[in-house]
Amino acid sequence: MLSRKKRLFIQVVSYLLLILFTLICVFPFYWMVLSAIKPDSEIRSAVPSLVTAMPTGKNFSKVLFTAGFLKYIKNSFFVSLVACFISMVIAVMAGYAFSRYYKERLIKLSNFAMLMSQMIPGVLLLVPLYMIMRNLGFLESYISLILSYTTFVIPLCTFMMSSFFDTIPITLEEAAEIDGTNKLQIMLKIILPVSVPSLVSTGLYAFIQAWNEFMFGYIFISTDKYRTLTPAIMLFKGSNVIDWGGLMAASVVAVLPVTCLFLFMQKYFLSGLMSGSVKG
Amino acid sequence: MGKMSRGRRKKFTAVIMVAPALIFLVALKGYPLLKVVHDAFFKVNLIKPSEGFAGIQNFELIFADERFQQTVLNTIIYTAGSVLGEYLLGMITAILLNREFKGRAFFRTMIFIPWLVPIIVAGMTWDWMLNTEFGIVNYLLQAAHITKGPVDFLGDARYAMPTVILINIWRSFPYYTISFLSAMQSISSDLLEAAAIDGAGVIKRFFYITLPQLKSVSLVIVFMHIIWTAINFDFIWILTEGGPNYATQTLPIMIYRYSMKKFNVGAASALSSMMFMVMSLIFIIYYRQRTKISESLE
Repeated sequence: MLSRKKRLFIQVVSYLLLILFTLICVFPFYWMVLSAIKPDSEIRSAVPSLVTAMPTGKNFSKVLFTAGFLKYIKNSFFVSLVACFISMVIAVMAGYAFSRYYKERLIKLSNFAMLMSQMIPGVLLLVPLYMIMRNLGFLESYISLILSYTTFVIPLCTFMMSSFFDTIPITLEEAAEIDGTNKLQIMLKIILPVSVPSLVSTGLYAFIQAWNEFMFGYIFISTDKYRTLTPAIMLFKGSNVIDWGGLMAASVVAVLPVTCLFLFMQKYFLSGLMSGSVKG
Repeated sequence: MGKMSRGRRKKFTAVIMVAPALIFLVALKGYPLLKVVHDAFFKVNLIKPSEGFAGIQNFELIFADERFQQTVLNTIIYTAGSVLGEYLLGMITAILLNREFKGRAFFRTMIFIPWLVPIIVAGMTWDWMLNTEFGIVNYLLQAAHITKGPVDFLGDARYAMPTVILINIWRSFPYYTISFLSAMQSISSDLLEAAAIDGAGVIKRFFYITLPQLKSVSLVIVFMHIIWTAINFDFIWILTEGGPNYATQTLPIMIYRYSMKKFNVGAASALSSMMFMVMSLIFIIYYRQRTKISESLE
C-alpha cells in the first residue's frame, strides 16, 4: 500500500483542490450578496473591496417595494407551486403505471415516447406553443406558464417516481387487493405514505425547474401583473443605466428560496434525482 | 368493472394511469412538433395570416442567410467545449469527493450549488463580475499583472465565446459530479481492494476498474448534455444576445430571431425542423449504445 508520506501528500493536495473548486463555485454568490448590501459609492468604485464598511438594505427595499419584485415573487411562487402540484399528480400516476404494468404494450410505448420527448427542447417548440397559447387566449396569464412548465418536467418526474415504486414490494398491494381495497385506496393509503422521500425530491425538482425557468416567462408574458421573477430580472437590467446593486439584490431574492429548500432537503433530492436520470 | 377479467382490468388501470401524462405530451409536445414540421413548408408569419404553400423556400432562405454557417459552427464549438469541460471538471471533482474524509458533505453541497441557480442569476452575476469598469475579475487580473488594461470579456468578439463556454461549464458541471459520484459509490470496494493487492496503482485502478464502470452513466449524461447544450436558448441570450457581432449566435438564438424579431415563422420552423432531425439522429445513436450497454450488463 501507499507509504504514509505519500498518503499525506495526496490528502493535502486533494483538500487544496477541493477548496479551490468550492471557492470557484461559491465566490459568485458571495459577490452577489456583497454587491447587494454595498452602498452605491462602493459599487461604483474602481477598486472593489472584498468586504463592505457600511452594509445597507437600500437595494433590497428599492427592488422589493419600488421595482415591484414583491409581486413578481408572488407570481413565481403561485405558478411554481401549481405547476409542481399538477406535475406530481401526473408523475405519480404515470410512474406507478411504468413500474407495475411495464409489460403492457401501451406502457412500453409511453416509456419510449417520454424518453424521446426529453430530447425535444423548449426553443424548438416555442413558436407553435406561443401560437397555441395565443389561440386559446392563454397568453398573458398564469395558465400558459403552468401548462408549459408541467409538460417539460413530466418525463423526468415520472422516471424518478417509477424508479422509486420499483423498490416497493408488490406483495404489500396484493394483500390489500385480496381484502377488496380498490386501486385508489391502495394508492392513497399504502403507496403514497411510504413514498414521502421520493415525493419530496420529485416535487422539489419540479418546483425548482418552474421557479428557474426563463424563456417561456419572457415570451408568453408581457403584462407586468403576471410577470414572474426571472424575466423581471432581465427587464430590470434592460433599463438604460444598469443599477448593479439593485440587480444583485433581485438576484439574491431569486436564489434564496431555492437554495434554502435544497439545503434542507438535499439528502432526498440528490438520490431521487440520480435514480430518475439514470433510468431516464 | 366487476365483470372484467384480471388482464383486461390491468390494462384498463394502466391506460387510466398514463392518460394524463400522455395527453400533456401529445397536446403540448407532439402536436407543436408536427406543427413545426408543417410550418417549415408554408409561408407562415407570426402577425399576418398564412400565405400558403412555400415549398422549400424557407429552407433556401435559411441556407442563404450569411450567418448560417458561422452559427452552425458556433453551436458546435459551444456544445463541444461545454460538454468536454463539464465532463472533465465533473470527473475530477467526483474523484476528489469519492473518499472518506472530514468535511466531505460540506464540499459536496458547496460544489452542487451553481446548478441550482436560475440561469438569469448566474448570467447577471457573471456579467457583473466581468464588468470592465467595476468588475472584480478585471480588477484582480490587473492587480496580479496578468492583463494590462480591462478586458471586455463578453463584449469583445475574440473573448465572448470562450467566456460564455466557461460560465456554462461553471453552471453545469455539478450535475456531472453528482452523477459520477453516485455511480462510483456503487462500485464494489472488494474489486478495488483486490486490484490493489495485485499491485495495481491508483491510476491503473481508475482506468481499468472505475472508468469502465462509469460507461453507462457517462453515456446518459454526455448525450443528454450534448442535446441540452446545443438547444439552450436562455443562457446565451441572457449573457450576450448572440453578440457581439454574432460571435456567440447559436442555432436557438437564430430560431428566436427569425420567429420573434422577424416574425418569419416559416423560416424559423425550417431551421427548427433541421435541428430536430439532427437531434433525432443523435438520439438514435444514443439509444442503440444504451441498449448495447444494458445488454452487455445482463
